[in-house]
Amino acid sequence: MAAPIRILTAVPICDGHDSAINTINLEFIRHGIEVIYLGYHRSVGDIVRAAIQEDVRAIGISSYNGGHVEFFAEVLSQLRKRGANYIKVFGGGGGTITHDDAVAMKRKGVDTIFFAGTSLMEMTDYVRKHYGKPRKRTAAKLSDMELARKLTEIEEAYAKGKRRPAKQIRNPQSAIRNSNVIGFTGPGGAGKTTLIDELVLRFLSHDPKGRIAILSHDPSVIGEGALLGDRATMINSQDDRVFMRSMATRGQAGGLSPATHDCLALLAQSNFDYVIIETVGTGQEAMPFQQNGIVDETVLVMNPDYGSRLQLQKIVMLDLADIVVVNKSDLQRARTAHTEIEQRLGQNRRGQRLIDTVAKRHRDPGVDQLFALIAGNLSRRVGMTADLSC
Amino acid sequence: MSKLGQVVEAVEKYNGFVLNQVKRARSDEKFGRELSDRWTEIKSKTPVTHTPTGLPLPRLALPEIDEPGEIARYLFGEGLPGEFPFLNGAYREMYLEPVREIETGSYGKKTSSDGAKEKASGNGVQRLEEPTRLFSGLMLAEDTNERFHYLTQHQRTHRLSTAFDGPTLYGIDSDADGVFGKIGEGGVAIDTVEDMVRLYDGFDLGSPNFSASMTISGPAPIIMAMYIAAAKRRFGPKVVPKLRGTIQADIFKEVQAQNETIFPIEASLRFLTDMVEFTTHEMPRWYPISISGYHIGEAGSTPVQQAAYTLSNGFAYAEMFAARGIPIDQFGPRLSFFLDCGLDVEYIALARVSRRIWAIGMRDAFGAGPRGQLFKLHTQTSGRSLIAAEFKNNLTRTAAELMLAYMNATNSCHSNSADEPFTTPSEEWIRLAAHGQAILLEESGIFKHTMNMLSGSPGMKAVERAVERAVLDEFREIERLGGVLAAVEDRYQRSQIQNAAHRYEEQIYEGTRPIIGLNRYRNGSDDIPEVKLARTPRKKQQLQVDRLAKFKKKNAEKAKRALDKLVDVVERGENCFPTLIEAVEVCSLGQITGRLQEVVGRFRPMV
Repeated sequence: MAAPIRILTAVPICDGHDSAINTINLEFIRHGIEVIYLGYHRSVGDIVRAAIQEDVRAIGISSYNGGHVEFFAEVLSQLRKRGANYIKVFGGGGGTITHDDAVAMKRKGVDTIFFAGTSLMEMTDYVRKHYGKPRKRTAAKLSDMELARKLTEIEEAYAKGKRRPAKQIRNPQSAIRNSNVIGFTGPGGAGKTTLIDELVLRFLSHDPKGRIAILSHDPSVIGEGALLGDRATMINSQDDRVFMRSMATRGQAGGLSPATHDCLALLAQSNFDYVIIETVGTGQEAMPFQQNGIVDETVLVMNPDYGSRLQLQKIVMLDLADIVVVNKSDLQRARTAHTEIEQRLGQNRRGQRLIDTVAKRHRDPGVDQLFALIAGNLSRRVGMTADLSC
Repeated sequence: MSKLGQVVEAVEKYNGFVLNQVKRARSDEKFGRELSDRWTEIKSKTPVTHTPTGLPLPRLALPEIDEPGEIARYLFGEGLPGEFPFLNGAYREMYLEPVREIETGSYGKKTSSDGAKEKASGNGVQRLEEPTRLFSGLMLAEDTNERFHYLTQHQRTHRLSTAFDGPTLYGIDSDADGVFGKIGEGGVAIDTVEDMVRLYDGFDLGSPNFSASMTISGPAPIIMAMYIAAAKRRFGPKVVPKLRGTIQADIFKEVQAQNETIFPIEASLRFLTDMVEFTTHEMPRWYPISISGYHIGEAGSTPVQQAAYTLSNGFAYAEMFAARGIPIDQFGPRLSFFLDCGLDVEYIALARVSRRIWAIGMRDAFGAGPRGQLFKLHTQTSGRSLIAAEFKNNLTRTAAELMLAYMNATNSCHSNSADEPFTTPSEEWIRLAAHGQAILLEESGIFKHTMNMLSGSPGMKAVERAVERAVLDEFREIERLGGVLAAVEDRYQRSQIQNAAHRYEEQIYEGTRPIIGLNRYRNGSDDIPEVKLARTPRKKQQLQVDRLAKFKKKNAEKAKRALDKLVDVVERGENCFPTLIEAVEVCSLGQITGRLQEVVGRFRPMV
């Protein structure tokens, strides 16, 4: 089976009109398209960077606040500058984009503009017809672009049912590793995405040159589309020093995609200081990082509302995680949750750490503590590997 | 229990009180007689007016009742216009033709009417403040200034309403990455205090005949500081207490519906409260917040959701300002409201019910005095109800909505232009929209002879009861979620609005919601108006960027110090608004936003 079409959608900077694009996104995914949604009020730089990293076939821009002729032109020009003009651009803006504007925009390289009254079906058909097949591409000019394309190759190979397709990956268990890999998992709605974005913010200011990669997952069923929306809320991770890739699970249970293992291995061997992997929201039985042997440090992010104390006994990751985070610790139940989880971890006698955070709060001391802990643990581990190899 | 829970209790208690008064009027003979006497007196004192055909009519219409219980139900449950609980109007008279001014012939001279009077003096004869407040903003400050002068050239009073461009609404500068094409589009570009000086040049900002309205919320405190700084530059520090106007500054509805938020919610609310604390003390004639349901309605909410979220947002603000220690009787009268009016039947009484709930809540849950109980309302007809197909039908839609808005006794009103589905309104259709109001209020006799002309029909009462019940149910749900702020952070209102919007579209698609010319009586050939677009020329956009660069260069050293000082005050948790007024002298909007975001963070969008 062919891999789903991946496209990126966004609303331009200084524009908060997201109602049309929300509806269109849902229609696209209903028809088997994977949509990476970047959100509203997004700069040209953010859009182009995301399109290259996600290696999408096209960018759909929904603009209602004027200045569209310039904005679309700037997107195209930046794509060209980065050698990424194989990524196509289309868009719409109800009545705000006139027919004359559309002519000017097409002259600058926009594929098509949808006007008021275009049905959702017409838009979906257009995307499937024009972006259904991979396009010939020139050699990658940037290392991010090359990496992005390799990730696509891995994903597409798995979609066609091949196993272990990627020649370019060295043995993933190999000790030759350039990055520290941290895995985040936990139930849906616990705040994993926000927490990771806050850690990224700290990393970027802590290390003025370092780079970080994020492999983020959202659920999907085989043969259907997916809304990959983490970028829309990860405002700090839209940065040239962050390489982010959004993946749909494409029918696999357990929180990750069939291609995740190889993709993660590739990222771990690339030049990042940290690689962060985020699973979809998982159930009690999930142990997403058990089999792959690449993740150095595992973090379980929990919500204080997990139900009765008995439920804690059933959560497998509480036995396996290196760090357990109780996020939303400003909620009333958080103190009870802390006490109960502390006792539960105590049974394991593994020295697992428990940290309370309020990730939504700017400069939250709990997140500071978590960042220091992760950075400290990993630097110790790297030191140890170095000793052994001597 | 949060204040919202107390409001629910207060309304229930008040409704119980009304029923008790009805019973008492029927059983307590003395009380019953007092009410009957008062009723007779009100009726006998009501002046008589004459229609152009000579028919005499009372200036205040009252129900034909003489039984004490029913009199009690009316006087306590509804109140006369201008009397608690204000169901029939926040003020007396409102749209009535003032007798004396007819004699001198001065009323009706204005060429366009864009709304009703905001104020009535209460003793029959009014000093009219012209109701026209045309929303305007285009290109650079000097272009908008020119437009302001054009719009007000024949007016005694100058009521300006300012629209800002996208970069300004998001608190960023015209030189930011990728915003060049948006400079001056859809509103005026403001980067610095110098732009603000240019924007209102030639107007006497301290005059009682001048007021400025600014439609901006995310960076409202910074823009407000620029307005004050610009006024001081032109008229000296003594002008500050005289400044009159409104700034929107409604953060809750931005997060719930409109997406123009730049700081995290709590930080945004803190900066807002800093500003309100300052204006309440130093600028007693300023309205520092316009609590807006319009954008909630336009984003697709049901009418009940619009009223419920707007009112609950209002109560949450009141709770917050009171918690800061601002006396309720100082800020209460400075709160104003802005609602949408569409074609759904709920709009027959939506604002009436809102006014009643607000008055009871403010009086009984907040202890506000009479002026703090008033729900002062600006209404705009629904932009969402207008469609492109056979667009001239939009004139009828807007006319029907205007009728509903005035039946609700709105204090002022804006009517939309029929060509809005295509473009920023053009002059031809603006004129027709404004004249729609003039025809309703001046040409027709519906509203100008008699207060209460259309209030109190059995149908209207049925809608009032149903809407009030539904609004209180929404309050209870929000209360259950931990109050307005908790519900907002939980995306409650946002999800409800999106869900309602989706249902609305489905109903149109299925045909269960008839839209004439779209899913019913379609003629197939759409006429499109000739659209003349006013786009900002590149040269002007470049000029704005160049000016900004010059300002930044000139003030580079001072800006650094001013920003450091601002950060210091913010970190210490003090009211940062006075420091903000100093900072805007040497810092641009984007510089301030950027620096504040480093301290308090950026708003994380809700998807």
